[in-house]
Amino acid sequence: MTPRKLKNSVMGFLVAASAVLLIAVLVVIVWHIFISGVKYLNWNFFTKAPAPMGESGGGVFNAIVGTFLITLVAAAIGTPFGMFAGIYVAEHRGRRFADVVRLCADALQGVPSIVIGIFGYTFLVVRFRSYSALSASIALAFMFVPTTTRVTEEVLNLVPSGLKEAAYALGARQSSVVWNVSIKTAAAGITSGLLTSMARIAGETAPLLFTAFGSRYVEWNMLRPMSALPLQIFIYAGSPYPALQQQAWSAAFVLVLLILLLQYSAKHLIARVLRVKA
Amino acid sequence: MVTQPSRSDRRELVHERIFTAAGVTAAVALVTTIVLFLLELFIASRASRAAFGLPFLWRSEWNPVTEKFGALPMIVGTLVTGFGALLISTPFALGIAIFLADYADRKLAEPIKYLIGLLGGLPSVIFGLWGLFVLVPIVSKFEVWFGKLVGSEALVASGTTGVGLLAAILLLAIMILPFSASLILESLLVVPTELKEGALALGATKWDAIQNVELPYVQKSTVGALVLSLGRALGETMAVTMVIGNGMKMPTTLFDPANTLASAIANQFLEATSPVYVGSLIQLALILFVIAIIINIVARVILRRGVQQ
Repeated sequence: MTPRKLKNSVMGFLVAASAVLLIAVLVVIVWHIFISGVKYLNWNFFTKAPAPMGESGGGVFNAIVGTFLITLVAAAIGTPFGMFAGIYVAEHRGRRFADVVRLCADALQGVPSIVIGIFGYTFLVVRFRSYSALSASIALAFMFVPTTTRVTEEVLNLVPSGLKEAAYALGARQSSVVWNVSIKTAAAGITSGLLTSMARIAGETAPLLFTAFGSRYVEWNMLRPMSALPLQIFIYAGSPYPALQQQAWSAAFVLVLLILLLQYSAKHLIARVLRVKA
Repeated sequence: MVTQPSRSDRRELVHERIFTAAGVTAAVALVTTIVLFLLELFIASRASRAAFGLPFLWRSEWNPVTEKFGALPMIVGTLVTGFGALLISTPFALGIAIFLADYADRKLAEPIKYLIGLLGGLPSVIFGLWGLFVLVPIVSKFEVWFGKLVGSEALVASGTTGVGLLAAILLLAIMILPFSASLILESLLVVPTELKEGALALGATKWDAIQNVELPYVQKSTVGALVLSLGRALGETMAVTMVIGNGMKMPTTLFDPANTLASAIANQFLEATSPVYVGSLIQLALILFVIAIIINIVARVILRRGVQQ
């Protein structure tokens, strides 16, 4: 074997080995979450609020409710901003300002989550003079908007220009072309993007620490402190009680399931879009 | 004869105006957000600047009891964990990307890509949980073993907790791996097949073609991808917070408990009561925000150039 061929085989092996290593790491992490999570799951875990200090049992119903409420409200606040900004960027492609908006969306995607949390605290909590689930939702909306903007833009760019041109040729205005042609063609793609963004913010902890703050009770009022699954995981993981640490694993398992479900629906939608196109 | 605009025409005109206004509003709001963040953080951190001024950036004392604050230990912690994680994960990220682009066939590549997406989508707090209960005990054992190896009594005695810089670096390396691998893969996939086939036709081995044709072609976008991953690592909060040990002192070895900018805020903000302490933590957030924005913009510009070329 010449040195060149030897190098070829060695590098091929190394490259494959790194892929195997990645899979191994993933399997180990998922395995731990699954094994440790399922072990302590029971009906109370889903239906009860945390037990009073010192008592055993109890669950994370408060956090499950919180995660749903906070995520849905954040998505409801962020969707119009993100979608319209995305439409703007897609419709004004090539213009200076559209480029600036896109760059800002990219830069905002990279803002560390803890900075968003601190901003939520100084901008909202200090002004409202109270921790609240609503301020958490608004903070999360700041993470939701840039991703939605980029996804909307990307999906709109996939709409065949022939379709749009045909509508324009019939005398349609820009708004009606975007609404009746582009958005309708891209609807599944945009929905899929929204679900992916929701999956992302549902798992965020840092923006909630100083906004939603957490609560031991099942809370439905958005103006009051509220718990959420990631928050509960963080608090329980740092707890000295093994029973609470076990609940952290179970909560992690539930959170991962929720996120996988959102991602799966997103993927399913995308697959349908691609099939229609083909 | 000139006809009056019909009712539906007028309604459409109104729609058109509302539509345009909504688009512009959303776009402007997005740009304003960055300014708003800067202003808000700048104003909220003024107590810290009044007390310490610019030397805040390079003073190495962080003492909540005497209320003397300097950001250097956190800046060092952030840079060490960020670059450490990048250093460890980059070879693997490159390897995985090359494997998926050139070695694996579709049947193998698709599930692996799906797994990478899965790993990248796991929340930070879950990596933190895993890190705290699985990785940290392993690091702790390694510390004791290493301490015995180099004959350091201090390490054997004090290093048994396992939390600290090393655990944070390892966990971060795992966390940014799927991110950088998929970014590099994206750029590898646009390398024209003709170029690679040309090299193969000239008698190059597969690896020759990768090394001399493919990798030089994606050099710029790979750098962009790595800078973007670095940005991720520098700002990563929860996972690092849970395994780095909230150390206030300047770390001297990789086994020391430390803090990053992000983890210091997450660990201490709720305990901070005095305006100077709160202001100093918000100042850390401001520093982190500025670093993150700069890194992200630089990375995007590099990536865009890489694609245009």
